[in-house]
Formats: sequence, structure tokens, C-alpha cells
Amino acid sequence: MKKSKKLFSKCYILICFLFFYLPILVTVIFSFNSSKSLTRFTGFSMRWYAELFRNSEVASAVYVSVTIAVLATVISTVLGTITAIGLSRSRKLLKEYLLNVNNIPILNPEIVTAISLMLLFSSFGMTKGYLTMLLAHIAFCTPYVITSVYPKVRGLDPNLANAAMDLGATPAQALTKVVIPIIRPGIYAGALLAFTMSFDDFVISYFVSGNGVKNISIVVYNMTKRINPTINALSTVVIAVIILVLLAMRLLPKLRRGKNSRRPGNRALAWAVAAICLCAVCLTLPKGMGQAGEKPSLKIYNAGEYIDPDLIGLFEDMYDCTVIYETFESNEMMYTKLSGGETYDILIPSDYMIERLIREEALAPIDWSLIPNSEYLMPEVTDRSYDPGNVYSVPYFWGTVGILYDTSVVDEKDLKAGWEILRDDAYAGNVYMYDSERDAFMVALKALGYSMNTTDEQQIQEAFDWLTDQRDTMAPIYAGDDVIDNMVSGNKALAVVYSGDAAYIMSENPDMAYFTPEEGTNIWYDAMVMTKDCANTRLAHEFMNFMLDPENALANTEFVGYTSTVSPAFEEMRSGTYKGIDAYVPDVDNSNNEIFAYQEAKVKKIYAELWTKVKAK
Amino acid sequence: MKHFKKLVRPYLIWSFVLIVVPLFLIVLYAFTVDGNAVLTLNFTLDNLKKVLEPTYANVFVKSLALGAVTTGICLLIGYPLAYMIARFKESTQNLLIMLVTIPMWINLLLRTYAWMNLLADNGIINRLLMKLGLSPVTMMYTDFSVVLGLVCNFLPFMVIPIHTSLSKMDRSLIEAAYDLGANKVQAFRQITLKLSMPGVINGIVMVFLMAISTFVIPKLLGGGQYVLIGNLIESQFISVGDWNFGSAISFILAVIILIAMRVMKRFDKGDE
Repeated sequence: MKKSKKLFSKCYILICFLFFYLPILVTVIFSFNSSKSLTRFTGFSMRWYAELFRNSEVASAVYVSVTIAVLATVISTVLGTITAIGLSRSRKLLKEYLLNVNNIPILNPEIVTAISLMLLFSSFGMTKGYLTMLLAHIAFCTPYVITSVYPKVRGLDPNLANAAMDLGATPAQALTKVVIPIIRPGIYAGALLAFTMSFDDFVISYFVSGNGVKNISIVVYNMTKRINPTINALSTVVIAVIILVLLAMRLLPKLRRGKNSRRPGNRALAWAVAAICLCAVCLTLPKGMGQAGEKPSLKIYNAGEYIDPDLIGLFEDMYDCTVIYETFESNEMMYTKLSGGETYDILIPSDYMIERLIREEALAPIDWSLIPNSEYLMPEVTDRSYDPGNVYSVPYFWGTVGILYDTSVVDEKDLKAGWEILRDDAYAGNVYMYDSERDAFMVALKALGYSMNTTDEQQIQEAFDWLTDQRDTMAPIYAGDDVIDNMVSGNKALAVVYSGDAAYIMSENPDMAYFTPEEGTNIWYDAMVMTKDCANTRLAHEFMNFMLDPENALANTEFVGYTSTVSPAFEEMRSGTYKGIDAYVPDVDNSNNEIFAYQEAKVKKIYAELWTKVKAK
Repeated sequence: MKHFKKLVRPYLIWSFVLIVVPLFLIVLYAFTVDGNAVLTLNFTLDNLKKVLEPTYANVFVKSLALGAVTTGICLLIGYPLAYMIARFKESTQNLLIMLVTIPMWINLLLRTYAWMNLLADNGIINRLLMKLGLSPVTMMYTDFSVVLGLVCNFLPFMVIPIHTSLSKMDRSLIEAAYDLGANKVQAFRQITLKLSMPGVINGIVMVFLMAISTFVIPKLLGGGQYVLIGNLIESQFISVGDWNFGSAISFILAVIILIAMRVMKRFDKGDE
């Protein structure tokens, strides 16, 4: 009877753990994949591990994540524990107040905490970096510690501490010898939660950090554009290290059994934590000082996975300078961070955002005489509507938005329908739309024959009806960048994608083809701009010139897969690596194509509201 | 008795600066127009009224429902797990709790991507099914995939507090109950469940709070059509740039949650 019960509970625990570890198992397996795919295992290889150890960004991110997590855990555990103990002795009103305040960081959506802390640090004039990230982490970890420890303290007999003091213990002794040992499980649970929350945090870290300080999550989020197994390799290493530490903690006490220590496991853990803390502090100090070095520095803010990282190192060596390189997930995220008072020298946003920044007088004009390589720029990419005469911007990549289709499923004849193929019920349930209001409305407006920059409410309403009708008849999936991996695996027949992503998908899955409808599409440009805050304009110009160098531009377009604006690099890719992949060559002859124009806040709100209505029926 | 009172002081100051002041900024935004000019305050209730429009009200209902379902499933799976773990000897317990926590140290996005690879139409599970001669099942971008992802992610936050409560329980209490003639069900309900109540409530609160404001998991596993409060707030702050409306939504969310916590507390007290 008792035995079968034990067996049952063992099985239950095993099944639960299987559930927990299944995704991690998949992560580990695919870290050994020979290709980039995360769904098809093509063969065993260690190439992602080689890449991992070559990548200095990942190494410094690991350092930041680990030290921040350890420091935040230790500080918030101490702070939370003493607060919880004090709380149990406080007046009711104070207790109620603090417990409610304490719940706020737990109950507030992360993005709200993130923005509010960003505003706070900015209004104090604090430079964003390691310290602000640490403070923010302590701020959101401590509540978890208090929530875990307080119930334990409440369950404690208050007479115990009093008895200890009656017997001659000082209050400090009563605390450390009596109270803390009893509530120890709660403290451990709190510390464990705090470490977990800190180690995996992205949103808050992203908005409160800066100046090149990144944790693992920030690096991973910016890699998601085309997730690659380097990060899987990193996770595998993390798991391996954890397992080793756990094993060591279990084996050490066994080896030292002769010595009669009461809680060897805990003591070992305490020593390990202390050692890591010490290392962290030692390593942080010189790093902080080293940053104020003699070399000139350039602060660049670019989209994730949007540069060949080798080029940054090359530039640093050539011009004997330091590049502080940070990445964003979208133009809007970049703008939010700029609104929070962060400053950069060079930004690489898209057309409509550049138009906005020009209007807000945030940019400095380019001195073209300092960029001799501009002679290589393709005529198709200069002097566009977002910045006539290229006063402020140096074109970087460009392309279109179009439909990617699976040639083994889609009938070529159906393509004649143009954008309307996305409402063809032969493909119901087989469509990915792009989850962004501007791109979705572009499709609908173009299908209806209107301008994608329209501000006419009647036309916008018609486009809204088009989209709701599509939602009801086609049941499309509104996907983000996950569409890339999904289409590489051929999960659906049709998808609205950016041409650069289409070129990459086509190079990975030969069944896929790309076309831009006759009714016209969005033709877009990303360009380098220099901010008003840029201190070292000479170095900034040198960087822009460096990126237009044909050889560097070729390396860049080969790495990123997006269409180069530099003529020799473009021709080389077109006839070389991406031969036959038409998505690489944007269709410039169609006069129906347009460039996104900057939208007034009022118009933007109308679109955003209608898009929410489309998605949340 | 009064010796440890002073220990709250550091946190009192800390929480004022890093929690109350930022919160005040958000509340200010919720009640004003044109957020970027805080100096010229223009008070309004329009932001709050807008939240009541059917589209947004719907999003609230959907998020709360999803949060409740996730919390319920986490409790159903997590309580037995915590209970069973608590019956092992102490060193094994520590190890098992560690094992429950470790998956959380692997980046959330990576774990979610792994689920996507498992559940996709041409994914690992479906390919396995086809090899076995079964027909593939659509799992991605459904309620199933979203709830699965949320439960897998939040379960540790249910298991850890419940386990903490159960592990300190004096087992002789149960034996005493048996001696006094209680049967198993009675002993469990009157002793074990009652004593683990603080942990259960703690777990429910944590999981529910995190589940209703999450947005990464539903977005990836449910697709863009899964608009929840978290997504709505995120898009207001980032893509739309309407910080006032975003603040209003989070303000209302906070009020709803505070009310819910009051109700929970009643339960807690009632049990004591």
C-alpha cells in the first residue's frame, strides 16, 4: 500500500518534470544542429559553440546577467528579510500600507514598471547603465522576497525572540540565532524567486540600462529577428554549469563527512554566493573605471541583427576608437528610449521615423564631403520623399513588402489577384499577416487602390472592413518575426513579409517564392542619421563612410541578407550569393509603390485603435 | 517585542523612492492629456472612459478569464506536486525544488520558441504523430498552446510557496488527527490544507498577477489576435506612443487587482 503510493508520487513528479524540461531538452538538442533551423535537425555539429565563444557581446552579457542577478538577490534578500521581520512588529496601518505598496511591482505589468523607472532615473539625471539596472532589479526583486518571507514571520511565535532576549541574548543575537533559522525556508524560497526574476528579466532591464550594458535577455531579444542556435548553445552551457554546481554541492558534504558540520550544503552555498559576489565587485570596479579611457568613442543605436559584428571590430581597429553598440527591436522602441533621455551619436531608423526625427529637429545635417564613398550609392536610394536631397540621412538598407508563397501549394494563376489572394478562400487558414498596424493597413489600402498614407477616414474605414472581412473568412495568423522560422519550415502557404526576410527564407527553403502585387506596395529605406547630441561628428562621418565602402557593404549585406544600397555590393550579391532570389532586387518600376510618410499622432491613434479592433474581435 | 520595529525603515524609504514616486508619475499620466508636457497639467477623465469602450472592456474580460484558467490549472497541478515533494527527506526536497526552479533560468523567449517548434503544424510533435501513422493536430495559435505555455512558465511560482508552507508543517499534527478519529479526507482538509493556506494564497496571487499582465507568451504562442491587457499596454507605450491611455489602462488594472486582493485576504482571514 505505502509502496505503491510512493511509486505513484514518483511518477507524478517525473511527469511534471518532463513537462518543465521538454522545451529545454529541445533547446539543448538544437544547439548541436548543423543548420540554422530550429525545427529540422540536419546533423550534429559544434559550430554554434564555436560561434558562441567568438562572440564577445554574449560573453559580456553573461557577465552582466550573472553579477546583476547575484547582487540583486543578495541585497533584496537581506532587505526583504529584515523588512518582513520588522513588518510583523509594526502598527497595523503601516503594515497595510507597506504590504500594498510592496504588491505594486508584482502586479504592475512589467512595461509600466519599466517606463516609470526610466522616467525616474531620467528625472534624477542618472546615467543609465550598470547601476540603474541593479537598482531596478533590487526594486522588483525585493517584493518577491517579502511576499515569501512575511507569511513565515507571521506564523512565528513572537515570544521566541523575547525569550532569547530574556535569557541574555542581544537583539542581534536573537535575530540571527533564533528568528532567522526558523524562517530560513521562506528566505531561501524568496532568494530563489528573486534570482529567477532577475536572471530572466528583459523589459525592465532594457529600458533602465544603456551605454552598452546588456544582459542575456536583451541580447536574445534582439536576436529574435532570425533566432540562431548560438543562444541555444549558451543555454546549454548555463544548464551544464548549474548541473555541475548542484552536483558539487551534493558531493562536497559527502567527501567531508568526517568533519561534523551541521548544514554543509547551506554553508557551501553561502560560500559560493560570497565568492561570486566578491568576484562581481572586483570585476565591476576596473570595468567601470576603464570605460572612461582616452580613446574617442562612438555610440550607435541600430536594429537587432542588422550589422555584421566583425565590421564593428574592424572599424575600432582602423580608427583607434571604441564603439558602444546598442540595438532596438522596432523604430518605436528606439523612439521611446530616446524620449527617456538616452543619447546616441548615430541611429539607423526607417524612413518615416527619420521624417519624424527631422521634424522634431533631433538630427544634425550630414557633411557629404566627408563621405567620399557616397559615389557608390545607388541612384534608386537617394533623394527620397522622407529626406529630400539626403540632408540628414545616409541610406543603409532598402527593400519592399510583399507576399511570400509556397510554390508547392499556391497556384501561380491565383497570384494575378494581387493582394486579394489574401482573401482567396482556397487558402483560408493558410495565411500569415504581419502584426503591425501600418503594414496590415498598407495591404488593405493597396488592395482597395488607395494610398497607404491616406488620412481620409472613409478610406481608412473601408480598409478596416477589408481587414475584418479577411479575419472572419480567412482566419489569418497575425505573426511577428516568428513568421520567418514558420515559413522556413513551410507551416503555411502565404505570408506578408519584408523582402530582406523573404530573401533569407527563400535561401533556406527553395519551395518559397516572392512577389509584389501590381497594385503597389511599401518600398522602404533604412538610413544612418547623426543626432544633434553627437559630440564627435568627424568619427561619425568616418563610420558612415566606412559602411559605404563596397567591401564592407558586401560583408554587411551577406551577413544580414537585406538589400544593399551600395552599387558594387548589390551587383555582387545579385549575381553571386543570392542569384535567382528575386526578393533581393526591389521592384522600383512600379509607380504604385509608396514610401511610408510620418503620421500625425491623431491619425496614428485612429489606425492603432482600428487595428486593435481587428485583432480583438 | 518592539526591538525589530526599526527594521522596516530602510524599505520604507526605498519603496517610497523606487515604487511610490514612479507610480505617482503613472497615475499623473492616466489623468492628463499630452503626456510629454508634464509641466502644463491638463486633467481629464477621457483616458479612463476610453477603457470602458467594448473593444477594450473585452480585452480586460479575456485577460482576467485567461488568468483565472491559468491559475486554476497551476493550482491543480502544482498543489499535488508541492505536497509530494514535501514528503521526501529534506536534502531531496531541496534538490527537487531546485529542479523546479532551474527551467526559469533559461530565457523565457527561448523556452517559448522551443514550444513553438514542438507544437507547430510541421513541428516535432506532429512529425512524430505522422510517423506513428496518426493524423497531425493543429496546436499552435490556439487557446491550448497559450494556456500550455503560461502554465509551464508560471507553475514554479505556485509550487514554491505551497511547498514552503507544507515543509514546515508538523507531521505529528496529522497523526494526532488520526488518533482523534479523523479519516484521511478529514485530516487533509482540516490540517494539511488549512496549514498550507498561506502558501496557496501566495501562489494564487503571484500566478494570477503575472498571468493577467503577461504578453510575450500569448503573442508568440497565440499569434497577434491574442490581444491581452499586457499587449494593449505595451502597444500604447511603445508603438502608439499614447502614454496617457497606456497609464490609464494600467491604473484600472491596478485597481481591479487591489480589489481582488482584498477579497483574497478575506478568505485568508476567514480560514485563520
